[in-house]
Amino acid sequence: MTVVPNELRELVHRSCFALDREDFSEFLSYCAPSFEYRISAYSPEIRKPMIWFDQDYGGLESMFDMVSQHLKRLGTLFRHPSMGIIDRVSDTEMKIVTSVLIVDTDPNGRSKLFAAARYTDTIDLSGTAPRLTARFVNLETRDLGVGSHIPL
Amino acid sequence: MTARNATDWEKAPAMPAGHFVSGRVYTDDAVFADEKARIFGKIWHLACHESEVPNAYDFRAVDYAGIPLIVVRGRDGMVRTFINVCSHRGAKIVNEPSGNAKRFTCFYHLWSYDDRGACIDIPRAEGYAQSGLRKEDAGLRAVRTEIHLGLVFITLDDNAAPLADFLDGALTAFDDVLGRGDLEVFHYHSAVLDANWKAWQETNLDIYHEFMHVLLRRTQLTAGRMDERAVTLYRNAHALSSGLKAKYENYAGMQARPDALTLPGIAPDDFFYVNLFPNASLLARGTVIRIDTVTPIDARRCLVEWRGLAPRGEPGAARLLRMRHHNQYWGPFGRNVPEDAFAVEACEKGFAGGGAAFQIIAREENMSAQDDGMLRAWYAEWARRMDRLPGDPVRREGEGS
Ligand code: FES
Ligand SMILES: [Fe+2]
Repeated sequence: MTVVPNELRELVHRSCFALDREDFSEFLSYCAPSFEYRISAYSPEIRKPMIWFDQDYGGLESMFDMVSQHLKRLGTLFRHPSMGIIDRVSDTEMKIVTSVLIVDTDPNGRSKLFAAARYTDTIDLSGTAPRLTARFVNLETRDLGVGSHIPL
Repeated sequence: MTARNATDWEKAPAMPAGHFVSGRVYTDDAVFADEKARIFGKIWHLACHESEVPNAYDFRAVDYAGIPLIVVRGRDGMVRTFINVCSHRGAKIVNEPSGNAKRFTCFYHLWSYDDRGACIDIPRAEGYAQSGLRKEDAGLRAVRTEIHLGLVFITLDDNAAPLADFLDGALTAFDDVLGRGDLEVFHYHSAVLDANWKAWQETNLDIYHEFMHVLLRRTQLTAGRMDERAVTLYRNAHALSSGLKAKYENYAGMQARPDALTLPGIAPDDFFYVNLFPNASLLARGTVIRIDTVTPIDARRCLVEWRGLAPRGEPGAARLLRMRHHNQYWGPFGRNVPEDAFAVEACEKGFAGGGAAFQIIAREENMSAQDDGMLRAWYAEWARRMDRLPGDPVRREGEGS
């Protein structure tokens, strides 16, 4: 376990802030073309791990293109990532685990917790700037109310 | 004049009874109390799928309209249900949603119950000698349970007619897929919505709202013809909606569903569903089956549970694709279900404080296309059981105005 270098912590935070603003092209600019995204949760009801959402870069891109045509939940979702820890290191790849609280603020400015989750990010260090090659979101929260059209 | 004054707004719509519903069905406390007794106290409710309790001593704890229940597969293979509360001082006994246990011991004073609901141990039982309490008389409350096509139904009414009577063949469309396939629940999620429970079921009964979903505008309104659609009504207001088709490839990023993954009795582009009165819906969409149930928490909040079914033990790649198909529409990050939940909560905002006076369910298209016939049949059944008029529910049927 090592403290996460600033540049990588910044990447995680920037990717969150881009999604908070629903600036999907900025979010994708932090992702490598081989990016894999997944949201999973464990169901104690059926005693099984579940995948609730999984897309590659192209899948996310076409999904993002459609978001504006959907009926969307009101208000904002803001991701609050805590300082991550490095899980595994090689010369060109790092895994960072970050705890995240996602806060839902309605149009009247009332906030409540939307979800508690953990990101496991894989980051490619071989290029000029670090890029996300995977983000696996594991949800602790399983009741997401009306749900969401955009990734967490 | 376009907007209406207060009198006109509160006036029953000028259309035949049964074509509109008063907002009071959602908000009136006496109506809700009656619903708990006359509807949830009487009907057969789809509690879970058999695969959730596959082995002897497996249990599944579920909530039913505020009552904790526990579904247990006994050592004899029979599935039984009990109210999940202790005979001693009423504590909820089992708090895990599922598990395997040979006995259920209440945490409070350690009374224990077996897989058939019998009380098998009372610590220091001699203290009850004087009052005459015997463990033989302290069993759990059994809840009638019947299984049809792998679906576990329960009723709180010891005198209810058998399940087959209640269903009236409404699940025939699922005979093939649920009867022939060895299926398991691979997806479960639930949400408490800020809405009266009926509003959720109405999204399943209301075909007209496909315009709300861009996904359905692209994949459904462009596929098949309106006049190929049909609603078949069964007794007790169960209903089958069939003849709907989907062209998945019309939504960017989606592909047609492959033949190889389809389930028995379902074509890749088929979409049909059955609504069971009052609170369950089974949907078949090419490769996936969704079951949803809604139960009230109180008049203003409901618990919606979604399950996805898939062939048990299928290869990982097939399962992954099937999960994707389920999630595209129906997961908490799907393109459809979040929009339905949004609509349900929006209607609650309309009705909760009395802002909305009525809703209109008056579309007639020969029980085809986007007819509101399922909604009308549902409210007619509601009226029969409640002895109340949906258009004026505070008044009993037959009472003068
Ligand atoms: S309440 Fe269960 S043992 Fe006392
Ligand atoms: Fe819908």
